[in-house]
Order: sequence, then C-alpha cells, then structure tokens
Amino acid sequence: MNNFYKICLVLALLISKPFSSSAQTSKYKCMVQMSNYMGEGAYIVVSLVDSKGAYEKTLYVMGSDKKWYKNLKEWHKFYSKKPTNISAITGASVSGGDRSVTVLEIEDAKINKGYTLRFETSVEDKIYNVKDLEIPLTTEGLSAKTEGKGYIRYVRFSPN
Amino acid sequence: MTISVWRYSHLALAVSSFLFIALASVTGIILSFQPVTEKIQPYNTGNIDQLNLAQVLPVLKDNFTDISELSVDANQFVLVNGTGKDGKSGQYYVNPETGKPLARVAEKNAFFQWVTTLHRSLFLHETGRFFVGLTSSLLLLIAISGTILIVQRQRSFKRFFAKIARDNFAQYYHVVLGRLLLVPILIIAITGTFLSLKRFDWIKEKKLVHQIDFDKLRSKPVLKLADFKVFNQISLSAVQSIDFPFSEDVEDYFLLKLSDREMTINQLTGDVLTEKTYDRATLWNNLSLDLHTGRTHVIWALVLAVAAGNILFFIYSGFVMTLRRRASRVKNKWNADACEFILLVGSENGATFSFASSIYQQLIKNGKTAYLTELNNYQAFSKAKHFLVFTATYGLGEAPANATKVKQLITEIEQPNAIDFSVVGFGSHAYPDFCKFAHELNNLLSQQPWASPLLEIHTVNDKSPVEFSNWANTWSQKHDLQLTLLPNVIDQRPIRMKTFTVVEKTKSVQDEAAFLIRLSSKSNRGFTSGDLLAIYPANDHRERLYSIGKVNGGIQLSVKLHPGGLGSEYLHHMGVGETLQAGIVSNRHFHFPKQGKTVIMISNGTGIAPFLGMLDQNTKGRACHLYCGFRSKKSFELYEAQILENTEAKKLSRISVAYSREGERQYVKDLLARDADFIYSTLQGGGVIMICGALAMQNNVISLLDELCQQNENRGISHYQSSGQILMDCY
Repeated sequence: MNNFYKICLVLALLISKPFSSSAQTSKYKCMVQMSNYMGEGAYIVVSLVDSKGAYEKTLYVMGSDKKWYKNLKEWHKFYSKKPTNISAITGASVSGGDRSVTVLEIEDAKINKGYTLRFETSVEDKIYNVKDLEIPLTTEGLSAKTEGKGYIRYVRFSPN
Repeated sequence: MTISVWRYSHLALAVSSFLFIALASVTGIILSFQPVTEKIQPYNTGNIDQLNLAQVLPVLKDNFTDISELSVDANQFVLVNGTGKDGKSGQYYVNPETGKPLARVAEKNAFFQWVTTLHRSLFLHETGRFFVGLTSSLLLLIAISGTILIVQRQRSFKRFFAKIARDNFAQYYHVVLGRLLLVPILIIAITGTFLSLKRFDWIKEKKLVHQIDFDKLRSKPVLKLADFKVFNQISLSAVQSIDFPFSEDVEDYFLLKLSDREMTINQLTGDVLTEKTYDRATLWNNLSLDLHTGRTHVIWALVLAVAAGNILFFIYSGFVMTLRRRASRVKNKWNADACEFILLVGSENGATFSFASSIYQQLIKNGKTAYLTELNNYQAFSKAKHFLVFTATYGLGEAPANATKVKQLITEIEQPNAIDFSVVGFGSHAYPDFCKFAHELNNLLSQQPWASPLLEIHTVNDKSPVEFSNWANTWSQKHDLQLTLLPNVIDQRPIRMKTFTVVEKTKSVQDEAAFLIRLSSKSNRGFTSGDLLAIYPANDHRERLYSIGKVNGGIQLSVKLHPGGLGSEYLHHMGVGETLQAGIVSNRHFHFPKQGKTVIMISNGTGIAPFLGMLDQNTKGRACHLYCGFRSKKSFELYEAQILENTEAKKLSRISVAYSREGERQYVKDLLARDADFIYSTLQGGGVIMICGALAMQNNVISLLDELCQQNENRGISHYQSSGQILMDCY
C-alpha cells in the first residue's frame, strides 16, 4: 500500500508540475494605429521588458518573414540568444496609415511590477526605432491611449 | 528585310535587358499560378453581391465574441480577424450569410512569397526594385518598338492583322505571337512600370485622413446594425475591408474601405461621420495590381502566364534571328568589278548565306577574286567569268525576299564576258515546290547567250551538308581548286575505298574513241545504276567520277577517251585482271524510279552508261523509252549488242537513235520534238524523264520541254523539275 501511495504521489506531482508553474494570464486587445509614412509595411515586435530594461518575453511579432528580424536589432539580440517558438504570436506587418488589432496574452503577476511593454519598429531601408513606443505595464497604462514616436501613431488596449 | 532605326532600338533594348526580362518572365509564370491555387480553395460562397452589410454584420457579431476587421479579398473570400466563440483569436474565412467561420487563414505559401520577392526585387531590396522597374519600362519600349516594326512589315495599320509571310520558325512566330500577345504584354509592362513608379513615390498616392469632430458625435438614437441606413445600401461586394470599432465607446467608429472611397460610421447611431473618395493614384494602383497579378480572375492570370511564357520565346527567337543575320553578313574583300568569281545569293533568312560565304572564304583563301552579294544586286560584272548562284525558294515556288528582281535583271543586263555558271538550290522535300526558284533561275541563265552551265543544277535538301559538299567537290574539280572544305558547314564522310578488278574491256575503234569497261569487286554490293564511281588516278585530291551502270551484277562504265585526259587515259590503260582502288558515291537523285509509270531515258554519247544498267535491272518490265544521240552509227555499235539483248528481254520498249554526223544529222532534241505529244502526255501522266550526258544537250532538252509545258499548260518545266519528274545527271 505504501508503494501505491508513493507512486500516486509521484504521478500527482508530475501531472501538477506543469500546471502549477503556468501562471494566471489575461488577454488584452491591442490596437496599433500607424502614421501615414511612405514605404513598405513596418515590422513591429512587442516585448515584455523588466525594470532594468532587459528583454524578458516576446509578446507579439507583426511581420512574418524571418529575414527582416535582424533589422529589429535589440530584440534580435535577445531572440537569437534565446530562440522561442513565436509562430502562434506572429502576424502580418502593418503599412502606413493602417491599423492592426491583435490579442496579447500577459501574465497577471507582471502587472504593476515595474515592467514595460516595448513596441520596436523597423521598415525596409528606413530608420529603426528601438523604442517607437513604451507603455508601463500598469493598470492605467493598459487602459490609456499611448502616442508613438516613429511609425506608430498610437496604441490602445482593451481587455478582451 | 525590314531594316530601320526601330529594329535597331528593338534589338538594343532587348539585348540590354533580356536577362532581367527572362528572370521576370520565369518568376511571373510561376506567380500567375498563385491566383489559380488560391481560387480553388472552397471559401467562395458566391453570393457576396447579393448581401448587404446590414445582413452580414449582425450575423458575424453573433458568431464571434469580438471582431476587429472584416475584409473581402481578390478571390471574393470573406475574412474576419477577431476572436471566435471558442476564445481563440486570429483570422478566419467565414460564410458571410451564416456568419460561421469556415477555416483559419493559413500562412501565405512560402514558395510563392519567395518567388514574389525575387520577381519584385531580386532579393536586392531597393536596388533590385529599381532594376525591376527599369526592366519593365524597357519591356514597354520593346513592345512599342515591336508594334511599330509590325506596322512597317505589314505596310499599314489596317493590315496589322493580315497574313504574315512565313520565312522560318523563329521569325514567323516572333511576329505572329508578337501581335497576338501585344495587348497582354503591353498591360504587363505598363502596370509593372506604374507599380514601380508608385513604389518610388514618382506617383504619389495620398493617404486618406478622416478628421472627426468628436464634440458633435451623437450617441442617440441607438440603432441595431441591421437598421443602419448606410449598411443597407452597401453591398458586401463593394467592400475591401471594414475596421470595426475598437471599443464600445462612441468615439470609436466603423471605418469602411470600399472600392472607390472610405467612410466612417458612428457605431451607435449609424450616422455617416466622414466620407472621402480615393484619389486617382490609388484607383490606378488597385487596377494595376489586379491586371499585373491576375488576382481577380483565373482566366486573366492564365493569359498573363501565356504572355510571360511568350516573352521567353521572344527572347529565344529574337536571338536566333539576330545571330542568323549576323552569321550571314559578309564583308567583300574586293570590288564587284575586280572579281572573277561572283557568288549570288537568294536567301530569306540568311541560312543560304552561310553556305555561300563558306565557298566565298575558300575562294579567297585560294587566291581567287570573289564577290558575294544578294541576287537583287545583280549587275554587269566587268571581270566576271564564273557565276555561283545559291538560292532558296520561298513560299509557293517564289523568289526569296532578296531575289525578287533578279529574273528581270538577268534578261535585261548582258554580261560583258562569257560566263559559266552553277546553280545550287536550297529547299526541303517537305514542300511540293522543291527548289523551284532555283530551277527557274537555272533555266533562265541557260537561255542567255553569254552564259553556259558548268554543272547541272544541284539541289540541297534540308541544308544537307553531304549534298552541298557533293556539289562543292564537283565544282571545285572543274576549276581544279582544292577546297579544304568548309569545316563549319560540312562534315564530309570520306569515301570508302574498295578494290575492283577489271573483268572486261570493249574498245571502240572509230574516231570517237569511247570504250566500255567492266569492273567487279568482291561483294559487288552497295551500288546500283545511276550511282557514281570515284577514282583517283594520280592518288591525289583529283577525283574523277563515272556514272555506273549495273550490268550482270557488276559495274559497267562507258568512258570517252580524251587524249591526255587524266581519268580516261588511266582507265584506258588498265588491262583485264588488273585492279584499282575506287569508291562508290551514292547518287540517290538519279536512281531508276521505284514507282511511277513510264520512264523516258535521254542520253548522248557515253551518257548512256547508267541507262544500260537500269535496263539490265528492269526485270519487272516497266515501260522504258530510250532516246540516245551519237555522232555516228559506229559509235553506237559499242552498245548495240546490249540494247538488242534488252529489247528482246522486253526490258526496253522502244529506242530512238539520233546521229549528228551522219544521215539526217539529228540531235536527241530533234527526236524529242518529233515525239512531243508522247513526251508531254508521259509527263502529265506522272511519268519520269531521266537525262544523262553533256550539259549542252541537257540545256537543249530542258528548254524544249519548257516550251512544251508553256504551250500546254502555261507554266514552265520547273514545276516538274521540283516535283522530281525530271531527273538529271549531266557533266
């Protein structure tokens, strides 16, 4: 009997392990409105950045052709060091004047903890913006409209 | 030939851009199948023109928890970007009538994307885009200059689609397909150029900006989407995309992008907030994309594929034409009036030129003065002694493009010197009028008082190097020239030498001094009557050819003894039992006809030799009539026994002999004139006339036959010559 309980316990631990480590997340609808710039569609990557400015997680990539990723220099340094599967969070690049609505999944535990959402942009043969737009990952930040400095006119969030 | 500044610009443009154009065409062909592969997907419900937005939007809202965008693509598939009832977000194909999602939108085909990039920018980004844009504008210029060339060739705009003269494969289809696919190619070039200009901001597209006065927004009365007046008026087929309001706030609105304009709509009341039409550049841009990619219609996409494929063919055929023209270009070393040898060429596309120029180069190498020109440049050549005429036949036995005037010129312009000539006809047995124009020229030249044939006419079927080198050999023997022949035209097979033993020799005693000699090899195979025996009496390049009669399985030659003659002296001195080395030259065009009815054999002197063999071989008893001419009864005696034998064996139906120095002093031609009705009815009934002997006799006979034909059917003998009813082997 002892053995049976031990096996059960091990099994229970094994099964519960992945669940216990996956934190509670929430989905947010995110709208990126582009300015009327001329040129190709912009590649935009949305990253979770900690209080020291270090990349922690890629939340969304707008632009599917991997050959342009190296133009998003800072993020690419992080991504090439720790490549993750981003196929589920990859969408189309966004042209000037267009808007793009995507759904971001953010861990609840990260909110109001000094983290930042960084929108990094790059357009073929045009300048690269490491911080086209940054939003503090706070409850207020996720409900306001934030103006961008480069190709992005503004970004808005709403709970999904 | 159509030569003009337009041709040169057409060529220069093509040469400068063909690599890029070829690449763009290949990738273009591949890309034209993208719309095809997309359209076969089952997401087109076929009713978007019957649905309006008031019907579609409410059912979509019921089937999705959230929608950010609806769009209708070029395949008329309806796509929704949003979050489904299952909580998953992404892009879905939907049925617009039920609002149900059909499938998730798959990632774009990586292969097509790769090809698209290659097509648009050659993987060179901005630089590549520039080159591709430049290429498409060059293609536009090529198409325009090509159109002008067609107009020039057809001589007027009205005849643009009239029949085109067929010269050769490359040229004919270059023109025919050129005008057929002119429109799609122009469209490809224009739209491609437009898209490039737009890409580089030479054509500015203005982005629409909607200025909304948020203070004046009404939030009442709140209507259902189905009751929005504006949604009831807009068909789904007019929609490019709809941006849904980001939140339920009244400041968020619907943004409708229609085919010709954009509208913003209050999401609560359905009021139209702003409405702006696209500027012309945007509309042209969309049209260009539709036309350039074929994304809206499978059939158009396939037309584009065919047009792009044809561009590749144009590159190929254009180069074939150019290279052919360049190959035929000859720079004469001497002036026309300084030259002894005149080479006259009738050529439609230059193939005949390359044969002629190989002879020209050999003559120059041999230290002769030679001049090569087109037949239409025929003139009085003050030092000329020899004419070499090389001509193709064009269409229905007509003159090729650069020989249209020559017949008239020959009759009008008399040459100051006596000229000997040789005509080589180029053609193909695939056409009924084989070498007809060459025959006509040969007949015409023979009639000129200043001209005498050096050789009978030779024909070259399908550019056969062997047939051409046969002529070149015979001709050069006549001039005692050694032509180290023509590596670029000819790979002549050396004649296989065999050992022959003299088995019998019959000498004639009278003044004409001809003799019969019979030879036999081990196998006695590989030849028949009408073939030639080549001997090399001095063991050098000097070759002598004798017409073979196959008698009793062996070779019988009939040789006229020329005092000091290289070949005849050599054979004359051979005794029975002695051996010699000789080769068989197949002479297919002078074999006894396998089919056909009556055969009329015409000879003079030793020209009877092949006929003796043919009669001996005529075991089936075909009707053969022999007309032969000799100087005297004594010279005929040499053959009399064999003739008698053949008559008794019913191998020979009838014989008529003319003696030129005795009795009535007749020539063979006089016998033919006597039997003119019989001769003509034989020709008309499909019979064959074979002529062997001296060229002078041949000319007389041909001009007699020509007259006969002119009288009876108003056309010359060349018709029968080209259809193979007149076979000649004269010297």
